[in-house]
Amino acid sequence: MKMTKIYEGSYQWIAYGRDQNKPDNIIDTNQYVVRAANRCLILDPGGVELFAPMLAAVLNHVPVEQITDLFASHQDPDVISSLGLWDQALPKAKLHAPALWEGFLRHYGCDTIEYVPIPDKGGVINLDSVELQIIPAHYLHSSANFHVYDPHAKILMSGDVGAALEAPGAPMFVDKFDAHVEKMRYFHQRWMPSNQAKRAWIERVRNLEIDMLAPQHGRIFKGDDVKRFLDWFEALPVGVAI
Amino acid sequence: MNMRTTNKQNKSQFIAVDSIAAELGAVMEVAKEISLAAANAKAIAFRAREKAKGFQPITDFINELAKETLELVNDINENSLLLYQLTVNEYRTADAYRKLEQAAQMAEGAAHGKSIQARVEAAKIKMQASRGQFRWHVSQLLNQLEAVMRPARAARVIAANSRIEASQAGEYMQSLQAVAESVDNAAQIIHDNVQRCRSVLSIIVIAE
Repeated sequence: MKMTKIYEGSYQWIAYGRDQNKPDNIIDTNQYVVRAANRCLILDPGGVELFAPMLAAVLNHVPVEQITDLFASHQDPDVISSLGLWDQALPKAKLHAPALWEGFLRHYGCDTIEYVPIPDKGGVINLDSVELQIIPAHYLHSSANFHVYDPHAKILMSGDVGAALEAPGAPMFVDKFDAHVEKMRYFHQRWMPSNQAKRAWIERVRNLEIDMLAPQHGRIFKGDDVKRFLDWFEALPVGVAI
Repeated sequence: MNMRTTNKQNKSQFIAVDSIAAELGAVMEVAKEISLAAANAKAIAFRAREKAKGFQPITDFINELAKETLELVNDINENSLLLYQLTVNEYRTADAYRKLEQAAQMAEGAAHGKSIQARVEAAKIKMQASRGQFRWHVSQLLNQLEAVMRPARAARVIAANSRIEASQAGEYMQSLQAVAESVDNAAQIIHDNVQRCRSVLSIIVIAE
């Protein structure tokens, strides 16, 4: 699995993805880790198939006892179907996930991990001295959906927003925005159901200072490409299958 | 044991536990039928009075056997539901152990690779405990199934006696013989179903 440090300060953000051993017929995913002094948060830890390689990869940066928190942006299997396995591996950890999905997510197995329900308005995750904001992104695409914003590192982990369907082994960062657009169009038009929700999210996110927009699939947007993406997304009609 | 073998074993375990529940459901239905046959026989014996004098105590026996079977099967049903939970639990703990072991192998050489070892060991202990719990419940269930076989065997003996008594009941002979026949058939069905449950359980134990 490819590991890329995307922020290095008094704490780190690390992106994991492009697992070469992943079965071909499951969608590729990016996982993110925020590593603070003594605690570590895994954002959208991934599906069952990814559990072992993901855990092994994280152990390059963190001992297992310091993996204290998990975050699930929504309920999809590629986001968190590994929950039952993390539940056995991290008996004292917390899962921050939408309150609306609690009864559903527990089907994956959540006996020892503490489920911390995120209310619709969002909230915060405190990781040692790092404070991360949980930003509502409802209906993008899931009916209860959240993103994570780090105001210090200026990173927005944007779940499925900004996602692209890529060939295996694609680079981790967007290099040519115009060429990248076609890899995103279908994903956003078909998986995102609501133009109203899209506009509300864009309005909210435009108020944040963002250096990096880090989606769960595809490539990370940096610098001016973040604004380019927001403009492109704003103009894109979604929910087109009706 | 490799992952594919274990997954296959887990699948067949799920199917086995499900099929036991189905067989027991059928046994319940048949036991209820015996109970109805007993009530029917009682009514006929009452009408036949002296001609079916020998049949009257038999109807009480049949009823008792049906009741006993129903009670036993109710207990077994509870145990088989628990067995399903234990199968789920065993599947989860075994899967977690395998995947943690896999992660530990992949993390060889990682800076904190060794930190996972204690979790692998803990997962192994948990898996062994849930496997032990499963085995214990399977043996309990086998004993309970053996207990259900007893009233089924007794019902067949009673059915044979019923036929003799029915042959002396004059114009009521046919009705009473029909009762004896239905008790005999029901007992045979219970016997066969329970026997199938036991075979399925024995296969699980051998596969373990």
